[in-house]
Amino acid sequence: MIESQCRPQFNGLELLEDAQLNKRILSTGCERIDLLLQGGLRVGHVTELAGPSSSGKTQVCLKVASHVARKYSGTVMYFDSGNSFSPKRIVQFLTQESDPANTEVDEIVQRVMSSIVCYSIFDIFTLLDMLHQLMNNLKSEIGCNVRMLIIDSLSSLIAPVLGGGGAHGHALMVTAGFLLKELAHEHNLSIVVTNHMVAGEAGSSKPALGDSWKSIPHVRLLLHRYRATNDSCISILKHPYLNCITVPRALNL
Amino acid sequence: MTSAISWIKVDETAKAALARILTERPSVVLPPPLHRLALRVGNVVEIVGPSPSAKTLILIQTSINCILPKEWKGVQYGGLERPVLFVDLDCRFDVLSLSHALERRITGAYRVRSGVKGNENEYDKELFVACMSRFLYTRCYNTFEFLATLRTLPYRLQKEKEKQGSAVYMLMIDSIGAFYWMDRALPSSSTGSNNRKSLSLQTVAESIVQEIQRLLLVHPMLVLAAKSAAFGDKQSTTHVIRNSGKRFDDKVLDSGGPQKPSYRDYMPSIWQSFVSHRILLRASDGESKHQTHPSFMTEWLLPPLKFSDKFIVNDDGLLVTL
Repeated sequence: MIESQCRPQFNGLELLEDAQLNKRILSTGCERIDLLLQGGLRVGHVTELAGPSSSGKTQVCLKVASHVARKYSGTVMYFDSGNSFSPKRIVQFLTQESDPANTEVDEIVQRVMSSIVCYSIFDIFTLLDMLHQLMNNLKSEIGCNVRMLIIDSLSSLIAPVLGGGGAHGHALMVTAGFLLKELAHEHNLSIVVTNHMVAGEAGSSKPALGDSWKSIPHVRLLLHRYRATNDSCISILKHPYLNCITVPRALNL
Repeated sequence: MTSAISWIKVDETAKAALARILTERPSVVLPPPLHRLALRVGNVVEIVGPSPSAKTLILIQTSINCILPKEWKGVQYGGLERPVLFVDLDCRFDVLSLSHALERRITGAYRVRSGVKGNENEYDKELFVACMSRFLYTRCYNTFEFLATLRTLPYRLQKEKEKQGSAVYMLMIDSIGAFYWMDRALPSSSTGSNNRKSLSLQTVAESIVQEIQRLLLVHPMLVLAAKSAAFGDKQSTTHVIRNSGKRFDDKVLDSGGPQKPSYRDYMPSIWQSFVSHRILLRASDGESKHQTHPSFMTEWLLPPLKFSDKFIVNDDGLLVTL
């Protein structure tokens, strides 16, 4: 009875086994990002993509959605808060990737488009509702097998409720964060969220959502676009075991 | 009459008591950067630092030190050979970082002893399995799960003790302040029911401290709690902006005084008074030769020591003091 009432206790070997069996690595479709992350996005991790506006965050999200839906079986859930989800762009990515054999491409496009599910969400309460619903569906195993969840952009849902004197904004943010972590770990999803930048100390910019958000994502990536060359580059801000100060890798998007 | 006299008679002299305590609860020196003070079972150490600052890494290194045996097949590892319980409240623990670090430690020690690469894999597996089975792990996603876990811990630890033969020596809590914002926004109960205790940050903290104290009575352990902290406040950031015109001199910053950003504790006072030792971590402005590795500074706040250590996280993920 005690075992059923609270969270189970594992030892190191059981954790390793679970990590090797369930927590696979999903390739992102962008070679450079895969190289940077030594494989790709890990199942069970919440990955944050931070960057100033038009640095390519949505493009990376769309590319990852199309690649994961194509390569791995399972649904990709896309929560869109800024009407930036573009089916045309996904088809573009798919046709770019595959060889010019016409009939196959159509089939692939058909299959991929039916495994990406997109929801428009415009406030934090709807987000929490959707996450709870997803959790219930996964617990009772109805609906299809979800592989990945992308929230673009999480910061635009949370930033309006932060600030002011009350603690409720932070409480909502931290609750959403823990829900995401639980979904990722207990139900073997990989979660990608995007974040924008705000002005920091001495003229530099830093990711939004403040200090309390810093301890929620497992992996934090920073996207940066150079105006002169129109080239994007990505670097790691925080990772459980990779060294944080890595050379920024230029992307081709 | 005899019972009253026996009540007044001394139980043992202070010398005998000290000898008994030193043998039953010996002090242990943890790996750097916690090596400045000898700690004993029953101490509650709080490791405070902004994110990111190697706190989880310190907990992992200390766990590895605890689960390794002192000596295995002729190779010295210098460990305590006792189980460790890791309560993950941050839910960000990655078992691969623990297993890689443990493997590196085992192969490193073996290589030191025999200069040759030999059959290290054989030694790895058996010892590795034995060590990993001494690492116990639980994670909680909110305060209620944490309290439920603490309530059932005495029973579970008893079962583990019978299974493994030795009692858990360390309790690690990753991020004791993880649920702070959720607890602050807890709705207090309506005035209707007077019997139930109203939920609030204070009562939650009281319950946590009570449960841990009860746990320590039955299973004495060394408690290490990590906590993420925010530095400074609005005043200090404007102060920094004013200074940005001047040339920054490392020596001026290190001399302390009003330029050091202040550290504010946000945990309720009952937790603050429960903590017996506190160490502060801070990212230090790196010197040019160490720029490839993140470097940190430590400072013992409780008991306040006058000097601070510097350490870096090298490529292997180990903490190396400078």
